[in-house]
Amino acid sequence: MATVRLQQLTRKFPDGSVALAGLTLDIKHGEFLVLVGPSGCGKTTALRLIAGLDAPTSGRIVVGEEDVTDLPPGSRDVAMVFQNYALYPHFTVAENIAFPLKMRRVPAGEQQRQVREVAETLGIGELLARKPAQLSGGQRQRVALARALVRQPAVFLFDEPLSNLDAQVRASTRAELVRLHRQLGATMIFVTHDQVEAMSMAQRMAVLNKGRLEQCAAPLEVYRTPATRFTAQFVGSPSINTFDGTIEGKGSRQLFVGAVQVPVTAPPGSGTLAVRPEHLHIVPPGDGTFPVRVALVEPLGAECIVHALLGDNTEVRVRVPGLPTVATGDTVHLRIDHEAALVFDAEGRLEGRGRRP
Amino acid sequence: MTTDFVTPARRVAVAVCLVWGLVVGALVVRTWIRAEDALAAQEGRSVAASFGPDFQPTRLPVRTPVAAGRVANVVRTMERQIGPAANRIAESERTLSLGRLWSRYVSVPVKDADEWDVVGAVVLRADWWRGVAIPLAVVLATLLVAATLGRRGVVRASEDVSTPPYFLVADAIATLTVGTTGALVLASRRLTEAAAILPPPSAQVRFDPLSLPMPGTRTLGVLLLGWCFAAACALFLCAWMASPRRSVAERRESATAWSFLAPSGVHLLVFTLGPLLFTAWLSLHPWDLLETSRPFIGLTNYRELLSDPQFWNALRNTALYTLYVPVTMVLALGAAMLLNQPLRGMRVLRAMVFLPTVVSYVAIAMVWQWIYHADYGLLNYLIRLVGGTGVDWLGNPATALVALMIVSAWVQLGYQMIVYLAGLQGIPETLLEAARLDGANAWHRFTQVTWPLLRPVSLYLLVTGIIWSFQVFALVYVMTEGGPARSTDVLVFQIYQQAWEFRRLGYASALSWVLFAILLGLTLLQWRLLNRKVEYAG
Ligand SMILES: Nc1ncnc2c1ncn2[C@@H]1O[C@H](COP(=O)(O)OP(=O)(O)O)[C@@H](O)[C@H]1O
Ligand SMILES: [Mg+2]
Repeated sequence: MATVRLQQLTRKFPDGSVALAGLTLDIKHGEFLVLVGPSGCGKTTALRLIAGLDAPTSGRIVVGEEDVTDLPPGSRDVAMVFQNYALYPHFTVAENIAFPLKMRRVPAGEQQRQVREVAETLGIGELLARKPAQLSGGQRQRVALARALVRQPAVFLFDEPLSNLDAQVRASTRAELVRLHRQLGATMIFVTHDQVEAMSMAQRMAVLNKGRLEQCAAPLEVYRTPATRFTAQFVGSPSINTFDGTIEGKGSRQLFVGAVQVPVTAPPGSGTLAVRPEHLHIVPPGDGTFPVRVALVEPLGAECIVHALLGDNTEVRVRVPGLPTVATGDTVHLRIDHEAALVFDAEGRLEGRGRRP
Repeated sequence: MTTDFVTPARRVAVAVCLVWGLVVGALVVRTWIRAEDALAAQEGRSVAASFGPDFQPTRLPVRTPVAAGRVANVVRTMERQIGPAANRIAESERTLSLGRLWSRYVSVPVKDADEWDVVGAVVLRADWWRGVAIPLAVVLATLLVAATLGRRGVVRASEDVSTPPYFLVADAIATLTVGTTGALVLASRRLTEAAAILPPPSAQVRFDPLSLPMPGTRTLGVLLLGWCFAAACALFLCAWMASPRRSVAERRESATAWSFLAPSGVHLLVFTLGPLLFTAWLSLHPWDLLETSRPFIGLTNYRELLSDPQFWNALRNTALYTLYVPVTMVLALGAAMLLNQPLRGMRVLRAMVFLPTVVSYVAIAMVWQWIYHADYGLLNYLIRLVGGTGVDWLGNPATALVALMIVSAWVQLGYQMIVYLAGLQGIPETLLEAARLDGANAWHRFTQVTWPLLRPVSLYLLVTGIIWSFQVFALVYVMTEGGPARSTDVLVFQIYQQAWEFRRLGYASALSWVLFAILLGLTLLQWRLLNRKVEYAG
């Protein structure tokens, strides 16, 4: 069973920076887990620790039943695809793919057979005689993937493997990786800073921030019920609208008071109200609506994003289906889907939701 | 769209102009020189005659162009050769002699009263630039006009891709032809002047300029080459002016670029290309620095060199000496890998290993001379400390060369290490990490990844190292002077010895050219090998 358990993983660098601060994460057998977070949050560090390229300051790494914390990388049943692919430039594609087998003293004939098999699977059978320099970005990516696949490891690690590809190749490779995962049933840990990529590929996504785990759950759950204000802001595009204010009143009179007023269920005190752009609606003036001035309209075809300013110049983003119906400079009225609003406490933890008045 | 630009008539015209220009160009220079020689000879006779029968050799005026005033525009340097020196004048030259192209001179013998013994000679050297200045001015003006016209031709034909290149400069070639024809007329006029203006110095001597000896075929060959060179310059100038990217800004830009390049270009020409050609010429002549006559002896120097055991000995020693290069490379790579660790104090250590490379070879040689000293040397002291017997390292033919190689290795180690360090740091870290993940141990990471990726660096170090070691001189000169028993005699030291100790500059030049050929071969080999690059883009 290729489960991966990270227990209180910490990595401090000699210069004092803390890349990981007590990361605990259980990855199930055969799971496609995406590690996501902004640049510098410790994703690469986490992968390198799992791969054994770096040693944790404290904490354990358990793969299956075995504690691999002190094993060298070659002895862990783990393969990694690097962001820059790290193909050996002096080897041909075939030699690149065969290298892990060669190091494990697989007989030459068997090496060739396996290399050809993997290359066929990934559609790079014709490229075997070429050098990496003669390949396109997408082809290099496949070769790097093939070099990982040929080892048949228990765990695959991907460090932003798609970020060097152009948009079209990226989309198709994304789909292919998911297909490959289904086909192999291996445990895969995929690192990306792109939340859209994370949402579309992950079975579960783990959101990292400053070396700490913010939340680990299925993508839609993370989207609907972000555990922290950071997660709420990180996931979703355009990003969620936030309003600072206080929660006042009791029971059925509880009210969030700030730039907007929304009935909520949450402990009183200062807090933040968060509303996704699709939960704001342009409506005729009336009860429970508030006026805004349109600052910018981004038409995207199927929908448009309206950037508008409240009276105190707080910016709100509204997702409007269809073609634009408002123009810059217009004053329009907005209504909030109260039940979809989220309330975070002063530390940024989710503490309640909006409610029907 | 001037597709009718190339007509058969024009084609013939261009060909005729081209041939005409070449032939006439050669004739111009030939005629001009003949005229100048005639003038010089005439003056020489005048000078000699003016001394009269009661001529006192000691009172011969020196560097006074006696006859100069008689011919406008001719100023010549006059030398005297009197007394025994006059005997060096060959029999055939006792009336008149002409040197080669750039050292043309006329010598006229000065005889005693009874016209029997030659007691001296008047030598007139033509200031060559005077002879060339006028034709050169004509050629330059012609080139300028030709370039302008050539440019017009190119512009006209630029839309018509099918126009053959030589038509692009048809007008230029035509102008060149006209220009050189003009120069020929000028030259002929001068020749006639030479015959007409000057009265014969005495009634006995009939002076006929056309009876003067002509430059030999070799000189004519040089002239013809010179002419071809001038024509090529003109064509280049046309192409340069006519190339389509000539906007004003671009022209200014390239003028600026050339002006920046000019100093180093002149330097290259004067101090590299000049000496190179001079030694090439010298290697075909004997010269001891003092003798003024340097007869052409063809490949004699080279033939002698090939049959000289000293040369083969030097070549063998030099080849043996180069063996220190690969040995040092192994050490340097080891040092580079050790010093590539990100540890404290590594910078200082690297600097220390690198230090010998920046120290003067002479200083290093002196220090090592002491280290190797048979009686007071550090090395023998250490050997005696551990109970061995000392060796006269530099005095023993069996050890002298090896001793020099060790010094060179010590010097080169730092340099090679720095280059290897740069190479190591150019290898992406992720490649080695990928190899670790792929299960490669340290040895395999070195043999499978690091070493192959360092191949261009190694090749560079090997070839440049060999090239440098073929040029070793300072160490040998200071430490052993080629000895003992010629066991450390290397090529450059041979060159030095032949040139400055034995004063055989011709032979030394031939040696230099052999060395040059070897180095050129090595350099070409390096280019060939290094051009097969390793791409780092994984
Ligand atoms: N070798 C190192 N020395 C010092 N600090 C490092 C080192 N590697 C990473 N860091 C720091 O650790 C943090 C996490 O880095 P990383 O894991 O590469 O982030 P990312 O999530 O972008 O992959 C960053 O703040 C980075 O500056
Ligand atoms: Mg990273």
